[in-house]
Amino acid sequence: MAMRRLLPSLWGAPAVPAGQESAHPFSALQQEMNRMFDDFFQGAAVSPFPAAGGRTGMFHPSVDVREGEKEIVVQAELPGLDEQDVELLLEESSLVLKGEKKLEKEDQGKGYHYVERACGSFHRVIPLPRGLDAKKAEARFKNGVLTVTLPKLEPAKAKEKRIAIQSE
Amino acid sequence: MKEQELQKQAAANPVEMERTRNRKVYVPRVDIYETKESIVLLADMPGVDEGSVDITLEKNVLTITGTVEPVGFPGHNLVYAEYDTGDYQRAFTLPEEIDQNKIGATVKNGVLRVVLQKAEKSKAR
Repeated sequence: MAMRRLLPSLWGAPAVPAGQESAHPFSALQQEMNRMFDDFFQGAAVSPFPAAGGRTGMFHPSVDVREGEKEIVVQAELPGLDEQDVELLLEESSLVLKGEKKLEKEDQGKGYHYVERACGSFHRVIPLPRGLDAKKAEARFKNGVLTVTLPKLEPAKAKEKRIAIQSE
Repeated sequence: MKEQELQKQAAANPVEMERTRNRKVYVPRVDIYETKESIVLLADMPGVDEGSVDITLEKNVLTITGTVEPVGFPGHNLVYAEYDTGDYQRAFTLPEEIDQNKIGATVKNGVLRVVLQKAEKSKAR
């Protein structure tokens, strides 16, 4: 966890890690470089969203985070799970995603040839910026992909009042 | 997080044929188990539904293909990325004992389940 404090904040950072759609002519090159760095550092556990108790072979859902002008969209790949298996908690500065992916249970005479799909419980904490409207947050599950939409609060501008200055 | 811990793995050599879609291809993770009557294949393909899975059988090779349409988020910046959307493809060689006329498949919550019934005579053995 101490490692996390050394990392620059995710929010407001100009760099887009392993980004996709961008109109800049150098974006393809930049993307490629980002991907290379991401791949290189993946072994060093510097992911800004560390998984609590993440262990080899355990189920570790992949997460994408997108930021728009009005909202933040978090997507997680959770194949084989449905809405009852997942718990979502919106805390002050983070979104907690936890649950368990169970191995299918079928007893008699079952011999496994291949076991590649990971299972087990997972717990991920995704840091969020301030100023999100917790009441309007919503989550949808479709075909094993969970999409959480977190709208941003209206900027404080609406509250300010212009004061007219009179000349004497 | 090492490569093998990621849920999706990019296909080393996607397919041995030319593709008409310029998209990434992933190898879905699978579990295969055998019961007395059948062999069951489970594949994790998040984002895929019944309509977008294609299962073909040619001679002894069963190929599963899943297409995922990317969801557009116009005006959104990708702040953090661990996965990318792409298609899924993987091929398996079937053993002789499978009855090739009795292959059933269902998709639920992004998991494809293919049930391969064993042929009558091999069951008797």
